Amino acid sequence: MKFRIYRYDPESGAAPRMQDYDIDFDPRGKKVLDALIAIKDTLDESLSFRRSCREGVCGSDGVNVNGTNVLACITALEGLKEPITIRPLPRLGVIRDLIVDMAQFYQHYRAVKPYLINLDPEPENERLQTPEDRAELDGLWECILCGCCTTSCPSFWWNPDKFLGPAALLQGYRFIADTRDQATNERLDYLEDPYRLFRCHGIMNCVEVCPKGLNPTEAVGKIKSLLVKRAL
Amino acid sequence: MRHVGGARRGLDMWLLQRASAIYMAVFLLVFLICFLAAGPIDFVTWHGLFAPLAMKVGALLFVAALLVHAWIGLREIFIDYVHFLVPRLALYLAFGALYLGCLVWTVDILWSVK
Repeated sequence: MKFRIYRYDPESGAAPRMQDYDIDFDPRGKKVLDALIAIKDTLDESLSFRRSCREGVCGSDGVNVNGTNVLACITALEGLKEPITIRPLPRLGVIRDLIVDMAQFYQHYRAVKPYLINLDPEPENERLQTPEDRAELDGLWECILCGCCTTSCPSFWWNPDKFLGPAALLQGYRFIADTRDQATNERLDYLEDPYRLFRCHGIMNCVEVCPKGLNPTEAVGKIKSLLVKRAL
Repeated sequence: MRHVGGARRGLDMWLLQRASAIYMAVFLLVFLICFLAAGPIDFVTWHGLFAPLAMKVGALLFVAALLVHAWIGLREIFIDYVHFLVPRLALYLAFGALYLGCLVWTVDILWSVK
């Protein structure tokens, strides 16, 4: 199988380049991550990438394969056009090869305060919700913060420092939608800004690439509806 | 200096863009009905279509909605792509002036129909 992989080593001082690999590898039933590991094991041990759980749960191996952001561990090799081009996630700084600097991404995530804010005394056991209220959180909590959506978003490309990006907005809405949270108004205050939320133009690249099948655009729409309800 | 965002901003523009879009859609539908009801179109029927005050006001609001919609759309583009203050402000003002001029011109055109 033919691969073309983005290589960059900042310590060498050389410019980033694309390197071709030709490996004898049976793609049946295998994922992109399997091929990356095989290349690292047999052809080039200097090839660097992140991976951990290898089953689409940890979200650490987000890469751009043939132009689409995916998790390497759950993307089947079969059906991919060769040479399979693998690049780091777009718009983030590259630390080395396929490893990107997620600092900006996490900064946006922290900015939406991704935790329950409830000033009531803690109950004996747990804060209860009705099954209906709990169902509101489905499609929100499953996010694994792989960064595939945010780095595929043109609005994030143009304003990465100011627009929060789909992943952070989805998590922002996850806590806005939580009936146990008491900081809804403050959360909406923070998001009502020309950049943080309103750079989203509904392009929906995020929906297309999300490896967990989530819909950040819908969450953004719900935040906008809540802002309108609050204002009128 | 740290970048500070303006809380409680952005919603008005977003809402106005939606509202102007809805008005344009409704007006175009009403206009289409009036247009079809007017029968075969020649100069006289076209002229007669714009004679009532209601149509003049409706059409003027339509152009106003169109210009507001376009200006907000351009503002979005400028925020996305024009990152320096001076050129961005210059573009805002230039298109604002241009569109206001178009609006005044529309008034002149519509009220010239007697």
